Amino acid sequence: MSKRLLLKRIVRSKFFMIGGIMTLIIIIACLFAQWFCKYGPTECDYSNMLIAPEWFRAGSSGHILGTDSLGRDMLARVLYGGRMSLLISFAAVGISAIVGTLLGVIAGFYGGWVETLIMRFGDVQLSIPAMMLAIAMVAIVGPNVFNLILILAITGWPGFARIIRSNVMAIKNSEFVSASRVLGASDLWVMLKQIFPNVITPLTVYSSQQLGHRILMDASLSYLGLGVQPPMPSWGVMISDSRAYLQSNPWLVLVPGIALALTVLAFNFLGDGVRDILDPKMK
Amino acid sequence: MFKYIVKRLIYCVLVLLGVSLICFFIIYLSPGDPVELLLGEAATPELIAAKRAELGFDRPYMVQYGTWLLNVLRGNLGTSLYYHESCWTIIKPMLWKTVQLTFSAMLLSLIISIPLGLLAGVKRGSGIDFFSMGFAMLGQACSSVWLGIVLVMVFAVKLKLFPPYGDTSFAHIIMPSITLGAPLAAITVRMVRSGMIDTLDSDYILAARAKGEPNFKVITKYAFKNALLPVITVVGLQLGQFLGGAVVTEQIFAWNGIGKLMVSSLNGRDYPMIQASLLISSSLFVIVNVLVDLLYTVVDPRMRKTSSGKKRIAGSTLSRFIKSRKVPSSGSPE
Repeated sequence: MSKRLLLKRIVRSKFFMIGGIMTLIIIIACLFAQWFCKYGPTECDYSNMLIAPEWFRAGSSGHILGTDSLGRDMLARVLYGGRMSLLISFAAVGISAIVGTLLGVIAGFYGGWVETLIMRFGDVQLSIPAMMLAIAMVAIVGPNVFNLILILAITGWPGFARIIRSNVMAIKNSEFVSASRVLGASDLWVMLKQIFPNVITPLTVYSSQQLGHRILMDASLSYLGLGVQPPMPSWGVMISDSRAYLQSNPWLVLVPGIALALTVLAFNFLGDGVRDILDPKMK
Repeated sequence: MFKYIVKRLIYCVLVLLGVSLICFFIIYLSPGDPVELLLGEAATPELIAAKRAELGFDRPYMVQYGTWLLNVLRGNLGTSLYYHESCWTIIKPMLWKTVQLTFSAMLLSLIISIPLGLLAGVKRGSGIDFFSMGFAMLGQACSSVWLGIVLVMVFAVKLKLFPPYGDTSFAHIIMPSITLGAPLAAITVRMVRSGMIDTLDSDYILAARAKGEPNFKVITKYAFKNALLPVITVVGLQLGQFLGGAVVTEQIFAWNGIGKLMVSSLNGRDYPMIQASLLISSSLFVIVNVLVDLLYTVVDPRMRKTSSGKKRIAGSTLSRFIKSRKVPSSGSPE
């Protein structure tokens, strides 16, 4: 695809532009959280507990989004929590994309028992509800960030393998592959230089669609206390902490929830946009 | 067709075997001794040695697995460390609760999403189309964690319309159903809409219109039926997922289903129970999906005709879902 055509499609895709700008803002705000916050995410200020956000009360305390029950700055907690969620979801999608692509290319290219083994294993794993599998695994390996990334990656790879395999199967019998075969190319060469470049499009589309999904799963797991451990902030933990204050301080649940919804929305838009740009036929 | 059904059933049994392998060996991921995990904190060296002999942990892995599987097939899923009872007696009533919640969530989301998607697809670009797409996007972006708590905040705490948690009366089931059903409703709206748009553009609809069929009949009899086919796949998959435990929703509303059981077993380090609930929920998922596949052959006449060894237009539920996926899968993770 020529660069000009690509650029034209990027500019024309509303989803990609809106999603891209939202994603960019969210990533910058979370990555450089220390520039936007006066307070640390775990810094307690016992003289300023449960303050409402700036525009809901008179006076100013410097806590733009208010404070929680321990006097911790909500803005700092949302941004630092977001940093963790982004890290977890990007890492998880990255790992499952690498593993899934590798196995998918091998399965699609070699076929036969190798394919049966890989794909059936994927089927079996997809047959276990993802949340249940994640909970069982956390129960056994213990909750921490590294394990969470690993678990999210494990529950994600079969989807990648399926998509990649079906694409590889379509490509592997094409003439350019036969041509390089005739010229004496090895299996590895064909897989790396001929097949892999041709599955990058579906890979990108599926990865971008998976990001929002992983963020949601991360929030659910940390809500259950299986993800990032307190006092480190995470959106799921913030939502679960807010349960005791529903009546008196509703912003405690609204702030992290809206942050979560906006992030997922941004990723979903981006995913749709990437699909429209790279693969308009898929619509 | 008969051949296809037999093939699917054999496949189902093989997947169930694979699932049981994972459920059994997942306990070995633990850095500690699995026997200690199975016995809990009360494990003394003598008890450990006794349990080890009973389960045959000194024998090869495959023999251990075989013994365990035979026990499972006889209906012995192990003894809960927390309840001191057989896991199945504990799981059975909770499973029923989960089934209730699943069907009520499914019904609610389909009642809303199918008409909405249909109207949006027919009146493309109109206000209702815009509304339904907005609904779909919000539904996919909302975490059930958050949606559930906001519902509690608005309808239970502020308006006092529904009880905030519990599972005893009809009023209790409404908020959990909304929470669980929202992501499914969002996906279904999008699928019905794009299905309607695709079929309304096709030649046979043009032919029907040319024949002078009334618009209402064209939409309901010819287009809608075809647009509904991919929805069956998605609904089947989600049905399986829901039955497998709506962990977060059940946790928020203290709904005593299998998902909540899983979380409480996790907190109580009740490993036999975790193993048993994992096995039960996955088996349900597999069985529901096979049933949906079989249903598909009944609903879609094309499936019946291609059964004579020719290339099938659709494989398993999952692969069909991936192929037909026009929407990102970013619904709720459960």
